Amino acid sequence: MVLASVQRRQRSAGLPPVVLVLVLVPFVVEAVGVFWPAIQGVFLSLTRWDGIGQPQNVGVDNFAKMSSDPIFRQAFKNTAIWLVLFGGLSVIVGLALALLLNAKRRGVTIYRALIFMPVVFSLVVTALVWRVLYSPDGLFNQVLSSVGLTGWQRIWLGDPTTVLYALVIAALWQGTGYIMVLFLAGLKAADPELMEASKVDGANRFQALLYVTLPQLRGVIGVIISVVVINALRAFDIVWALTQGGPYHSSELLSTYMFSTAFQGRQLGYASAIAVVIFVLALAFIIFYLVRVLKEEM
Amino acid sequence: MTPNLGRRSFILGSAAFGALALTSCATSGTTASTSSGATTSAGEGGSSGATSGASSEASSGATSGAKPDASGALTVQSNQSDPQSQKGMKALIAGFVATAAGTASLNTVAGEQFRTQLPTYLTSQTPPDVLTWLAGKVAGDYANKGLLLDVSQVWSTPTMAEYPASVKALSTGRDGKQIFIPQYYYWVAIYYRPSKFREWGVSVPKTWTELKTVAAAIQAKGVAPIGIGLSDTPWLASAWFDYLNIRVNGAQFHRDVLLGKASFADPKVGAAMDRWKEILPYFDKRAKGLAFQEAQTQLFQGRTGMFLAGSWFAGGAPKSLGDDLDFFQFPIIDPAIPVGEEGPTDGFFASARTTRPALTKKFLEYVATAPAQEAYLSASGSASLPTNPQAKVAETAANKKGRALLAAAKDVTQFFNRDGGDELQPTADTALVKFMDNPNDLQKILADWQTAAQKVRQG
Repeated sequence: MVLASVQRRQRSAGLPPVVLVLVLVPFVVEAVGVFWPAIQGVFLSLTRWDGIGQPQNVGVDNFAKMSSDPIFRQAFKNTAIWLVLFGGLSVIVGLALALLLNAKRRGVTIYRALIFMPVVFSLVVTALVWRVLYSPDGLFNQVLSSVGLTGWQRIWLGDPTTVLYALVIAALWQGTGYIMVLFLAGLKAADPELMEASKVDGANRFQALLYVTLPQLRGVIGVIISVVVINALRAFDIVWALTQGGPYHSSELLSTYMFSTAFQGRQLGYASAIAVVIFVLALAFIIFYLVRVLKEEM
Repeated sequence: MTPNLGRRSFILGSAAFGALALTSCATSGTTASTSSGATTSAGEGGSSGATSGASSEASSGATSGAKPDASGALTVQSNQSDPQSQKGMKALIAGFVATAAGTASLNTVAGEQFRTQLPTYLTSQTPPDVLTWLAGKVAGDYANKGLLLDVSQVWSTPTMAEYPASVKALSTGRDGKQIFIPQYYYWVAIYYRPSKFREWGVSVPKTWTELKTVAAAIQAKGVAPIGIGLSDTPWLASAWFDYLNIRVNGAQFHRDVLLGKASFADPKVGAAMDRWKEILPYFDKRAKGLAFQEAQTQLFQGRTGMFLAGSWFAGGAPKSLGDDLDFFQFPIIDPAIPVGEEGPTDGFFASARTTRPALTKKFLEYVATAPAQEAYLSASGSASLPTNPQAKVAETAANKKGRALLAAAKDVTQFFNRDGGDELQPTADTALVKFMDNPNDLQKILADWQTAAQKVRQG
């Protein structure tokens, strides 16, 4: 009896009201601002709704409709390409830049700042810069014609075969700086003694990178992969600003298709279903990765 | 997505930054600017209910609306966000306030945001009382959902009795009640520079054959004969579709196609598109990489020869161009088909949930008057034509010609999205731009278009 009451007292002493408030208030905010709309989105995905009248329950029709929707298939394929290209390249290029710029050389901060700068630029500026570069009389086509490669000239953002890659490049230009900074932070935390030891043991640069540096970056890489996957799946702004998914849906991503379905096509039920697909994909990738990381750590 | 909204957003700095408009939604251009006139009349108490009680129309207002008006100023939500049009709207509001019928405040929202938010505005518990919008199915769809105020009472006033029957029909919903008050309309035609035409040794084409001859002659000079900008304004291609279908199959069939009574895969549509094939080689090859403003500049600089667009096209012309910008009627293809023209009409409608129905109707009655339309058009410097037949605007050569063009038309359509509904526009953008890339896939493109259109109509 006595023991039990002591335990109870200890437990209640362990949760002072301040902590309770600090936990509950953010939870309520999160629940109202994030969870509830998300759950509502799932409900909406089971309806047909034009945003005005009453939503009509149609079961899983919206999801069934996706399989016969050529634009959805195109958007899905493009999102996969985007994920692989944008995700892969931003990690590889970001790491390469971080390794290059981790050295203590003169002027290295200037380079770091320059590469990070696009991250800070507003989307309007980024879109404007790339629109000008890609325009039919823009820099790329001028350079090609000046070196005699007029046959390689393209309407970069208007040609269905080039538009997606052109957009990936613009997105990389904007996003790689951030990944580089994350890697740099990871490299700063790496133990220099291990590097020295590996040198003494006669490891070459590649071996040092593979067996000494990368294992120490594991934590950072976990963060980066999550960031990159989420960024790739919700990529929207640069595409919308430059092509709105055009010409004829050839640069459509799931996110842009969701938006245009919702607000141009006024099919909010179908758009919510697309949003659910994006959510499930993101969740699947993250869980898959987290499970692997946790397994390795155990 | 409409020529009109489009024009406005471009003047502001191009829809290339559509996403900017999205992200900065809440702030973009929403200036709740009460005109100076409104401020002075606020001294009258600003209670519209009180003012309307004194006037003769109030009784009629009271009969239709069960409850008296809520107090406070009338809110007018406007999508006219470019500086010139804003001046026009402010002049209009000031004019209304000067009639002492009540107070009003103007709330301007960027065009693209306005378009996507419109259903929200109309269904909100405290909606704006009056909103700017476009005539046609694009307005009628909202009426069918019961979101619009019945304004047939305004249409029965002496002011509006003088309006042409065609305009009234355009403003009438499915149930026979009017839901729209037109303010101005404009023409769609092929713009060109007369000095360049002289330089190239060509004259204005009147028939399809002549158009092809002119295009070939311009191309021989090393200039792209037909300009268009498709990168941020793929809907410009719909102007070509509209006109080809109207010229080959007539305006009624065209409307039937847009309303789903006839199919996009109909061989008659194919016949119209075959005409496009004939002229497709004369389109600017860079079109898909050009934003509207860039494409417009190409014509102003003489780097393209002709451009099919609404009267707003001239709005972007540099002063130095002066009179050196003119337009001609879309050439006749089949003389047996009654001549139809596009004459998009803009105006106002009101929310069915307005808490100030009497004041709303007074305002709408005012905007239909000649002085109100004159005030708007002169303050905005617009080339558009007033819908009130009595309204006098500064006649320019372009005005006169545009008015004559539409007056001579046997039938007037609005524009693709206005006649077919906003939701249908993306299907046209996809089909038409794809066609311009792959004209040989026409049959499949038209079949896909029909499928996509049906999906949209089913919701």
